[in-house]
This record gives sequence, structure tokens and C-alpha cells, in this order.
Amino acid sequence: MRRALAAIAATGGVLALLAGSPYPLDVQRLAKAVAREDDHVTAVELAAWIRGRKPGLRIIDLRTPAEFKDYHLPRAENVAIDALTSTPFRSDETIVLVSGAGGHAAQGWVFLQALGHRNVFFLRGGQDEWLEAMKQQPEIGRYFGGVRRRDGC
Amino acid sequence: MITAIAIGIAFGWFLERAGLGNARKLAGQFYLTDLTVFKVMFSAIVTAMLGAFWLSRLGVLDLAAVYVPETYLLPQLAGGLLFGAGFVVAGLCPGTSCVAAATGRGDGALVMLGMFAGVLVTGLAFAPLAAFYESSAQGSLTFPQLLRVPYGVVVFGVVAIALSMFAAAERWERRAQ
Repeated sequence: MRRALAAIAATGGVLALLAGSPYPLDVQRLAKAVAREDDHVTAVELAAWIRGRKPGLRIIDLRTPAEFKDYHLPRAENVAIDALTSTPFRSDETIVLVSGAGGHAAQGWVFLQALGHRNVFFLRGGQDEWLEAMKQQPEIGRYFGGVRRRDGC
Repeated sequence: MITAIAIGIAFGWFLERAGLGNARKLAGQFYLTDLTVFKVMFSAIVTAMLGAFWLSRLGVLDLAAVYVPETYLLPQLAGGLLFGAGFVVAGLCPGTSCVAAATGRGDGALVMLGMFAGVLVTGLAFAPLAAFYESSAQGSLTFPQLLRVPYGVVVFGVVAIALSMFAAAERWERRAQ
């Protein structure tokens, strides 16, 4: 009996090495991702992904429908932040979250990480930094129209 | 409340079944002639740790919601020394004194009386002790945080140490007899 209990304990202990974190949200892993700056993309990086037609890229704009209608990134989809966690994503998709200044997008990044999505990023500085980057880098800005895109871009 | 009472009764029953209501058996731990206390307590630690880890990993238990008492280094060091001294003198700790009293042992009842008297005195004298009581606060510490290793490594390490110590304790007891 004692040997059987010892074997069960040993098995549980060895498998624990391989089981990963017991916390639903591994905050240590998230903290390391933030420290490595693996949690976000810059406007220039995202522009390159869009231009290169990165397979499986989904740009999720978390702003209000009115803000989205006024201007949005090419290929962006409008999803309310409280609907983000119920939006279906495939595991092979690369998700980029966008908000006005990046705050909601960073929060959305945590929500999707908690749900087990790993290939998620937020646009650093949000829509504001995107527009600034388009102004600062005319060759990229021209590719995306050079001016604010409106309706149906 | 009902769950807590049920767990308390089960805890007491298992302590009694392990023989830990007997002060002589507990004193054997300090003379290193009977390591039952060590084996029972370490078994409980390993069982609870594996249970908490795997139930949480399987989504049954939310480990983040489990309360981790905060560490106050100096007051807990002083309290630990006082507790240890009391344990050696009485031959019983708070839990085992309740078990001993419940099974009709006079020493258990007296230790319980002393324990509640100590609680009362500490409560009455708390004001001058409050500054010390709240000193050297470290927050809620866990081994994975302290050692900066994944939770699973700590689980594996504790199980490995426990099984090695159990084997060593058995050999030691055989030699002592």
C-alpha cells in the first residue's frame, strides 16, 4: 500500500514538471512576454504585415462603430471589447488588436491570452501612432493612400 | 461552515488514527525515536500540494483564489520559536491537543486551556505588540516566486524530498528500535 501511494506521488510529481502552470493565466509568462516586447507590434511592423499579405492576419479594431466608420486600418474588423472574448479565432491566425491609444488593445491582449490564444499582439500606441507613422514615413503612407482612409477601405 | 466542520472532524479523526493524540508519540519526534509526526505531516503536505496543483491544472480549482497568508518575517520567527518551545514542553501542538482532549486525555485538555489563555492574553496585550506584529512584512510569498522557478519544478522537488525523507525515516526508525 505504501509503495503504491509513493508511486502515485512520484508520478504526480514527475508529470507536474511537464504540466505547465496550474494558474489559468500564467502571469509570469505574460510578464516575460511584455519584458521581451513580444506583446505588441509597431505601426511600421503592422504595415509590413499588411503589405506582405501575412497569412492568417486578423486586425481587430476595438473602438466604437462611429470611430471605426470614420477611419480604420486596411483589413480591420470592428469588434466591441466586451464581445472580444466571444469572437471565434483559429489557432493559426495572427491577431492584432487596435484601439485609439492602445490601452483597450493591451487589455484585450490579456483577455485573449487568458483564453489560450498565443498569437496575439496589440498595435503599440494604437490608431494614433499608426497615423503618426504614416505621416513620418511617406513611402508607407502613400501605400495606404497617403491620407485617412474612410468607409470601406 | 458545514464544509469546514466536516473537514475539521475528518482532520481530527485522521490525527487520532495516526496516533497523534498521544503526547508520548509526539515526544518521540523530538527524541528521534518515532518519526510518525514528520511522516504524517509531510504526507499531508504532499497530498495537499499534489491535489491543489492537479485540480487547478484540470480546471476544477482556481488556485489564484486560494488565500496565501502573508509573511511577517520577525514576528513569525518569534512565534515559531515560541510554538516549538510550547510543543516540546506540552508534547502536543494546537491540533493534536484538541484531538487528545476529545479522546478524554487530561493533558490535552490542559494544553487547550493554556492555548486559549495565551490567545486571550495576546488579545489583551495586543496594542503594545501591534508594531512588532506587523513588522518585516513580505507579502504573500510562495516557493515558485521565491526560487523563481516554475510551479511544477517546486512540486517535483517537494515530492522528491518527501519520498527520500520517508525512506530515510523508515531506515532511521528501524535502527533506533
